[in-house]
Amino acid sequence: MQYSPPNGRRWRSRTEKARPEDVTQRRFLLLKVLIVVLFGVLGLQLARMQIVEHEDYDARAESNRLRTIPELPARGLIYDRNGEQLVENLPIFSAAVVPADVPDDRFFAVVAGLSEVTGVGPQQIATDIVEARESDDPFTPVIVKADIDEETAFVLRQRQPGLPGAQVLVESVRDYPQADLISHMLGFVGRIDEEEYADLRSAGYLLNDTLGKAGVEYTYESVLRGSAGYRQVEIDAAGEEIETIRSVAPRAAGNLVLTIDLDLQREVTEILRGAQGNSLNVVAIVMDVRTGGLLAMVSLPSYDNNVLTIPVDQDALPGLLDDPAKPMVNHAIAEVFPPGSTFKQVTGTAALQEGVAGPDTTITSYGSISVEDEYNPDRTWIMRDWAALGTMNFYRGLAMSSDVYFYYLSGGYYENGRELFRGLGVDRLARYAREYGLGAPTGIDLPGEAAGNVPDAAWKEETFGEGGVWTLGDTYNFGIGQGFLTVTPLQLLRVAAAIANGGDVLVPHVVSEIVDEQGNVLQAIEREVANKLPISSQNLAVMREALRQAAEYGPARTGASSYVTIAAKTGTAEFGVPLADGTYPQSHAWYTAYAPYDNPEIAVVVFLEQGVGATNAGPVAKQIFDYYFDRQRHVEAGALP
Amino acid sequence: MNARMLRLRDFDPVIMLTALALVGLGALLIYSGNLSRFGEPTVEDFSHPVVRQTAFAIAGVALALVMARLNYRVLGTLSLALYIAAVAVLAFVLIAGDATYGSRRWIDIAGTPVQPSEVAKLVVIITLAKFLSDHQDSIGNLRVFLASLAMAALPTALVFAAPDLGSAVIFAAIWLGMVLVAGARWQHVFGLLAIGLVCVPFAFVGVVTEYQRERVALWLDPESDPLGAGFQSLQAQIGIGSGGLFGKGLTEGGQTQLDYLRTPSTDYVFSVLGEELGFVGGLVLFTLFIVLLWRGLRVAELSRDLFGRLLATGIVIFILLQTFINVGVNVGLLPVTGLPLPFVSQGGSSLITLFICLGILQSILLRRRTFSHRNFYDTSAPP
Repeated sequence: MQYSPPNGRRWRSRTEKARPEDVTQRRFLLLKVLIVVLFGVLGLQLARMQIVEHEDYDARAESNRLRTIPELPARGLIYDRNGEQLVENLPIFSAAVVPADVPDDRFFAVVAGLSEVTGVGPQQIATDIVEARESDDPFTPVIVKADIDEETAFVLRQRQPGLPGAQVLVESVRDYPQADLISHMLGFVGRIDEEEYADLRSAGYLLNDTLGKAGVEYTYESVLRGSAGYRQVEIDAAGEEIETIRSVAPRAAGNLVLTIDLDLQREVTEILRGAQGNSLNVVAIVMDVRTGGLLAMVSLPSYDNNVLTIPVDQDALPGLLDDPAKPMVNHAIAEVFPPGSTFKQVTGTAALQEGVAGPDTTITSYGSISVEDEYNPDRTWIMRDWAALGTMNFYRGLAMSSDVYFYYLSGGYYENGRELFRGLGVDRLARYAREYGLGAPTGIDLPGEAAGNVPDAAWKEETFGEGGVWTLGDTYNFGIGQGFLTVTPLQLLRVAAAIANGGDVLVPHVVSEIVDEQGNVLQAIEREVANKLPISSQNLAVMREALRQAAEYGPARTGASSYVTIAAKTGTAEFGVPLADGTYPQSHAWYTAYAPYDNPEIAVVVFLEQGVGATNAGPVAKQIFDYYFDRQRHVEAGALP
Repeated sequence: MNARMLRLRDFDPVIMLTALALVGLGALLIYSGNLSRFGEPTVEDFSHPVVRQTAFAIAGVALALVMARLNYRVLGTLSLALYIAAVAVLAFVLIAGDATYGSRRWIDIAGTPVQPSEVAKLVVIITLAKFLSDHQDSIGNLRVFLASLAMAALPTALVFAAPDLGSAVIFAAIWLGMVLVAGARWQHVFGLLAIGLVCVPFAFVGVVTEYQRERVALWLDPESDPLGAGFQSLQAQIGIGSGGLFGKGLTEGGQTQLDYLRTPSTDYVFSVLGEELGFVGGLVLFTLFIVLLWRGLRVAELSRDLFGRLLATGIVIFILLQTFINVGVNVGLLPVTGLPLPFVSQGGSSLITLFICLGILQSILLRRRTFSHRNFYDTSAPP
């Protein structure tokens, strides 16, 4: 604005005398406005903070002041069926620091002190603290060094007053005195990982928490962990507890009693070691056929679960992971194999129930049968038997494990296109296999179970596409437990147990009871029937008799016990690449059995990755039965007056 | 000077009473803020902050009365000597003072830490009042304007280097307010402000220290370092916000009592008030300040000479700005600067200075009838 009064002065009053007065009066007014405006601004901001956003600030003040300190009960213990303790809780010490409690002005003193005590580089400690401070939870202790010795822990405790924020964490970790003897069932406890934390945070798990990673430690995690309590404490700015505002006591963890008999487990392990030969893996399981509880389950090679539990033994770990025998895998439940002739128990009972065969059905084995190719009449397939076994009724057919007999039962018999014997066919065979629980996990209370495979026409087409047409040869192979059928040892054991107990396909389990510290039973694991076989008791009795005869004069006699009458079936499942004459150079050895024949108590399955059922697996079963029933005799004799 | 000509009824009791009310409120807050560290005060325990504050307040009131009795025009004749002394002491502090929270502001006099910048503010007010009233006819002259700027700039630069950004702003504000009231030309003022604005980016890079830049950054986002340097600012805001309408009650504030506030009786005394006495407590405090400042402006208006008018104006601006900056920092409106809340914060230097200021105001009031209208612009000492 260009305004020039005549006298040349700008911004001035023209009356000389009033000039400074007016100016100052105007400027006083300005000052008054300034006072009102400035306090108005402060008042508005104050109202915003204290009235509008009061709730937010109040919540922050509370979270500042109050800290929730979780209190975990000691992890539950695990016992075998005779009360032998299988796990221990040991304390380990860790040097830690609560990032939020390290004062700024003493940051480097604290870092230097921690470094001096633990030997961890100060750079590392400082980085960890700074990173944790930037996270959303600067109150959770950061572990500077895990598993420090007691002396270091003592020194750190002594120096704690001079190192604000520093802490000695006492953590309880697992020790497994039985090491690899029972590790597949116990599993181990590990540090929670990021994914698990995301899932379990709402269940009260903490950033540094531990949880069962395998075995019953995993399956029964919630029982063994108990439930965390907490203390809500008032904390001052230096991180000191002022008082406890509120506390909720932790709920004690439950202890587990296993169905496993540790002595039997040890014995079975010894017997299997002796029979392992050049097998990559060997398995034996003993089940109580009345309850489904497992008395022993051994998968060799096993592993020492102390390596994997906290603190992890980093030196031993690579050896476990690289071992081609996969010692950490429980082959009893997690790996599948063709069952071989042991499957004839399924084919046999199915044929009896479907009226395909009766106890007196006679079939003659000349050592093999010829099968015309359904799609190429000029071609003929030869299906072999393991020997020319002659004419057999059902009992003998099963006892001698005649393949020809069971080719007839499963696929029927044809000559020049004429059906001379009607078999079960793939659909009925598959249906019965599924009734026995094959092709699906058994539901055992252990993680990592495999389902196995029950094949049928639809499955084959889906798996192999165009060329996947189901052939009669496939049915024959299926009927004798070869080909596409795969099972876990536990599934096969369940087949034997179901025949033994009158048709109950049981859910196997390794935990029998959850008990409290005083041994009071909190929960008993009840016998659970997964399926009732649609097979009459007469037909099951026929099968049991056939199995008894098998153990009497058939190949399965190698497993007969010195103390009791058993019922058994061998299996030799060929695998790998066939030789030029159609035979296979490699086979798995199987043996399933139960005893006593007339009052079934236990069932056993033996699996050797390399071997012949009768030759290699049978003797293992015999030793197991002998040990078990010999011991039982002694116990009973000792118990008598 | 003729003592009989002074009329006691010209003395303004409202100024003294509001000031004492503020000191009393402050004592309560200092008591509460130090409860966790010092416990209950006893009269003989001179190390207890409340006892010290009370003692300083008593001394302050006594000095105010002495000051009121004294003719404020004497200060005009002493202004050059005071100014030289103040600048010398500020320079000395910069070289040899004690650092607290990263800033050199203190010197020890007989075992008592003294913060010379507080006293220096009063000295600058006196010096500027003297200079501007001496040159009131030529205030429109750019040379006079720049000379007054130079007088304020020297101590400003010294406290800025301490570094004490808050006090530097106070010096600048005092100068600005006083030259405006003295009748400086708007063209000069706006021109200077324009130059200043252009220089801000350069200043931020060149003159402002890393420490100050960090503080500004933290003020813009205190959450960026919730456990580091932003801690105090954030905790103060949490304390105030959680206080709500009526507060949690004296000595009941968790933020205060659990030591989340690091200087709960000096820079952050307002947070204690906000948390424990709430919005209502804040309004009471503001009201007291507004009354005090209003009465201060009344002194300026009633003053019968320009020197007194400028003195009173400078004092009002000093108290107003110091209050605004202190509370502004507490409520997160301004970056962290270590300025005490007038009359309320614990601190002898500040309290004594402020009471002397009030004494000067009373002295101006008591003498408002002493001089004729004719000699309003006569700043020479009375015969």
